[in-house]
Amino acid sequence: MAQPPLLEIKDLGKRFPARAGREPPPWVIQGLSFAVRPGEFLTIIGPSGAGKSTLLNMIAQIDTVTAGEIVFDGQAVNSHDPRTLQPGVDRRIGYVTQDDNLLPWRTTIDNVLFPIEVQGRLNDETKAHAEMLVRAVGLAGYERYYPHELSGGMRKRAALIRTLAYDPPMILMDEPFGAVDAQTRMQLQADLLKLWELGRKTIIFVTHDITEAIALGDRALVLSRQPARIAAEHAIPIPRPRNVQDIFALEGFAAIYERIRAAIQ
Amino acid sequence: MTRWRTITDRLIVLVIILAAWQIGSAIVGPYWLSSPWAVTSRFVAQMLSGELVRHSGYTIWESVCGAIAGGVPAVLLPFLLRRHPLMVAILDPFMVGGYGAPKLAFAPLFILWFGIGIESKIALVASVVFFIVYFNTLAGVRALDPKLVQMAQIAGASERHVARHIVFPAAVPYIFAGLRIAVPYAIGGAIIAELISSNRGLGYLVQTGAMNFDTTSVFAAILAATLIVHGANWMVNASERVLLRWRPQTAVMVDAGD
Repeated sequence: MAQPPLLEIKDLGKRFPARAGREPPPWVIQGLSFAVRPGEFLTIIGPSGAGKSTLLNMIAQIDTVTAGEIVFDGQAVNSHDPRTLQPGVDRRIGYVTQDDNLLPWRTTIDNVLFPIEVQGRLNDETKAHAEMLVRAVGLAGYERYYPHELSGGMRKRAALIRTLAYDPPMILMDEPFGAVDAQTRMQLQADLLKLWELGRKTIIFVTHDITEAIALGDRALVLSRQPARIAAEHAIPIPRPRNVQDIFALEGFAAIYERIRAAIQ
Repeated sequence: MTRWRTITDRLIVLVIILAAWQIGSAIVGPYWLSSPWAVTSRFVAQMLSGELVRHSGYTIWESVCGAIAGGVPAVLLPFLLRRHPLMVAILDPFMVGGYGAPKLAFAPLFILWFGIGIESKIALVASVVFFIVYFNTLAGVRALDPKLVQMAQIAGASERHVARHIVFPAAVPYIFAGLRIAVPYAIGGAIIAELISSNRGLGYLVQTGAMNFDTTSVFAAILAATLIVHGANWMVNASERVLLRWRPQTAVMVDAGD
């Protein structure tokens, strides 16, 4: 029995408005369609500049849609008018961006608690949950540090658990581990998988790294060059829980890697 | 180490200034230029008699009232106008005009309108402080990273949350930069207003001292004003250090000389 999708993207298109007196720029995204099941970890791979961030911005409702429809939890949520955008769709879609966007005037724990605080849900239970997440990603002892006192990897972890702490049903991730070294990145991937196993949220994870897409996802979509649409779709039948350290050695990895690499060309 | 070096070097500069002053006074005569020793003794005597304390207190009170009357709206206005860039654009030439206009030239007008009491001094100080703080706060509100606002909105923050938790803390360093410039102007403005017409305050002491050809009294009042500016500056720096302790240390160290 197939579950109804949590998110459905139907024939989505985006082009940015023309500057005065110029030809309108080409479509960034055109005719893009896919669906995400509840609890699925979907990865999207695309070359740089393929409109991956634009796609997530539209789903998170911080950018308008030019054509097509975004249906979240049975409701059309997209907007053509920037004034009627509803960022985060009433706290139901979380977004971990490329930049950590931590508030420099708040300590680690206060940054993690920020969404809960503005949502008016600050209590012993939510605080305990946030502290558990802090410990789970190895930030214990750094709760009272300001962001500038943390390393790049620590800041990424803080940004990640800030979104997990308020528990939105769907989380978008836009190359969240892009700007850290390979070692830290692998550790962050392992942390993310561990946290995901705890809650099994619906995740859309965008990356340009094929290995990362395979290591994390249940399914990987490959985006074409501009205008972006789905070039290929690959199920990733590697069993969970997975160990990102030796993902290369697992049966099936090489074959999936080759197929995705071929699709990107 | 560098801290002690700074202090000793400052003392050397002070000694050189005092020596030059003493020599100058000896050459032109104490009638025209009072000596540092005479000024210091007069300063101490007037402090002990309470006269200088009373007049200084009056000037400080005018400055504080004026700084609040000008500073609070100057901080609030850019926040209220944040969502209305058109209003900011409409107001801009007038604000630039207000900023550039020589406020001290308005002192006689303020006295005409508000009388020779404290109101005219507060009005002058407020008009000086307002424009400096307004432009600095506006710069802070404009320099805000829109990604932080988007992050907060996605997390469910209301417009009020965004103003309080994102826009305001981001603007605080800019507000302080404005205050640091505005504070000496506030005290100077109060004294100028007193010079023109008053029966109290340090400006009044300067005025009566000059009328009586008593340069010692003039210098004693100026010395008091200088010390007040230093004290006010120290207070601004101290509160900035507390409020901005989240900033990287290097940024704070630059102005932590005193």
